Amino acid sequence: MLSARNINVSYGSTQVVFDVSFDVMNNANLCVLGPNGCGKTTLLKAVAGILPHGGTVAIDDRDTRTMKRREVSLKIALMSQSQGVYFSYSVFDAVMMGRYLHIKDGILGSPSGHDRDFVAECLRSVGLLDVAKKEISQLSGGQLQRVFFARTLAQEPQIILLDEPTNHLDMKYQIELIEYLREWSSHDNHSVIGVLHDINLAMRLSENMLILKEGRIAASGVAGAQVTTELLRDVYGVDVVGFMRESLGKWEGISAQ
Amino acid sequence: MKQKIRVTSLLIIAFVILILGMAVGSVFVTPADSLSIVWHKLAGTAVPATIKATDVSIIWNLRLPRALLAFVVGAALSVAGAVMQSVLKNPLASSYTLGVSSGASLGAALVILGGISIPLLKMFTLPILGFAFGLGTILLSITIASRLDKGLENNTIILTGMVISLFTNAVVTLVSALSREHIQQLLYWQMGSFSLKDWKTVFILLPITVVGILIIMHYNRELDMLTFGEEQAKSMGVNTVRVKWILIVIAAAITGSAISFVGVIGFVDLVAPHIVRKIFGSRHRLVIPMSAILGGAFMVACDLAARTVIPKQDLPVGAVTAIIGAPFFGYVYFSRRKRDA
Repeated sequence: MLSARNINVSYGSTQVVFDVSFDVMNNANLCVLGPNGCGKTTLLKAVAGILPHGGTVAIDDRDTRTMKRREVSLKIALMSQSQGVYFSYSVFDAVMMGRYLHIKDGILGSPSGHDRDFVAECLRSVGLLDVAKKEISQLSGGQLQRVFFARTLAQEPQIILLDEPTNHLDMKYQIELIEYLREWSSHDNHSVIGVLHDINLAMRLSENMLILKEGRIAASGVAGAQVTTELLRDVYGVDVVGFMRESLGKWEGISAQ
Repeated sequence: MKQKIRVTSLLIIAFVILILGMAVGSVFVTPADSLSIVWHKLAGTAVPATIKATDVSIIWNLRLPRALLAFVVGAALSVAGAVMQSVLKNPLASSYTLGVSSGASLGAALVILGGISIPLLKMFTLPILGFAFGLGTILLSITIASRLDKGLENNTIILTGMVISLFTNAVVTLVSALSREHIQQLLYWQMGSFSLKDWKTVFILLPITVVGILIIMHYNRELDMLTFGEEQAKSMGVNTVRVKWILIVIAAAITGSAISFVGVIGFVDLVAPHIVRKIFGSRHRLVIPMSAILGGAFMVACDLAARTVIPKQDLPVGAVTAIIGAPFFGYVYFSRRKRDA
């Protein structure tokens, strides 16, 4: 179980996340939603312990501030939005980096057979096993995104934090990714916290939602109960649900022809 | 498998260059004789009488230490360059472009011109001050650049480094202009030279470099991860602050100590790691040792050219590396820009 209490984050003198608290139970997921610039990514990085923050993050009642970096990373893996690749590695080697904490350290530390099998399994999960030897500089944006997801899985964490994991992905892979995450989080005390742009995909991942507006919690709870149609309209400044109904109407019109 | 062939080929080429570095010069000693001299000297047995005593002296007292020194310096500079490129995620980073080299040369200028010798440190005064000044300059570059550009991911750091480097070089020139009797020595030293060096220098630099490279090798996986950016490395469990500091300090140490003995030699540190990555891929498990070997062999070859191209005259070796390296720098810079645009 992960619980975040009164998280505050500032960049220099500008505060971007204000007093955010939430809990994620084992085998449950959470979607973080909100308009651009509302502090979703910052919140996620703070929870992962990558940005300095106020407040506490506890995993299974253990305060992450009392844990070493390696201990935190054995519990939480963060998949950030993909950035450029500066030096190229093979797909397999890139995913193997996720095994960092599981491989013996130093000059002689090299991956065991188990590590290799595990990486192959992660690559199979994201459908990239057949391009394992390819250089990541030659991949498309969507494939690269899947490499980074496989690397996150290779870390064998208890909690996965994802920042816009469906960017660059075709719809097929978007849906597959969400289905995979649902399955992954249903066992071994796993849970997923996802920052998602697409509200439809978010609903598929979890009905538990945390809606941020200007760095503060606008609503948190279950879609339909605490997260209402009016609230979404207010936060996004557009009638979100009305728009989806309208789109659905159009598609139904097309398929009825 | 292919990788093994590539490694073996590079080792053989490096070995051949090292032998040529001994054999070729104003007096030609056959490679076989050169090897025989080294072999007997190392084994402590008498060199065969068929080999002239002057040849023995040339090989053992002049050319072998000189070639080895060139190799060690080339290795140190290239490995430091590879480290800086990965840690700063910048293909143009190197000791030369970040100002480590010119900083170290300022430190060394003060030692030589001021006749400074810190008690206790004695013969290590020069490399230690070279290291301290080199480290000081890179920290200054990083501090100024991070004020201007938080991510340090574009060329601000290179521009800052170049500005500081030019400024420091100007200070070295001014300092040397004030003491005319050393001007020739300093001129050479600003372009680097391996002439008039003996075994003593090798014995000081070799252990520093070997230990430094081994420590860097220890962090080969962290280096791989750092090329994806500090945040990603951190989320995978790397203690990035600590690792980055260790790597930058060690890189500055091996560069600074090398530079303080032989002067500023640019571009090897930039060029060698790029060639190595092209041949062997980006994994630092190979990039680090292969940069050392390729950089070392390249430096021996440059020194060979520096002392043989114009008969009876030693050119500054930095001029040779710059003639090859400067166009390469331009090539990397512009091909990079094209891709970014």
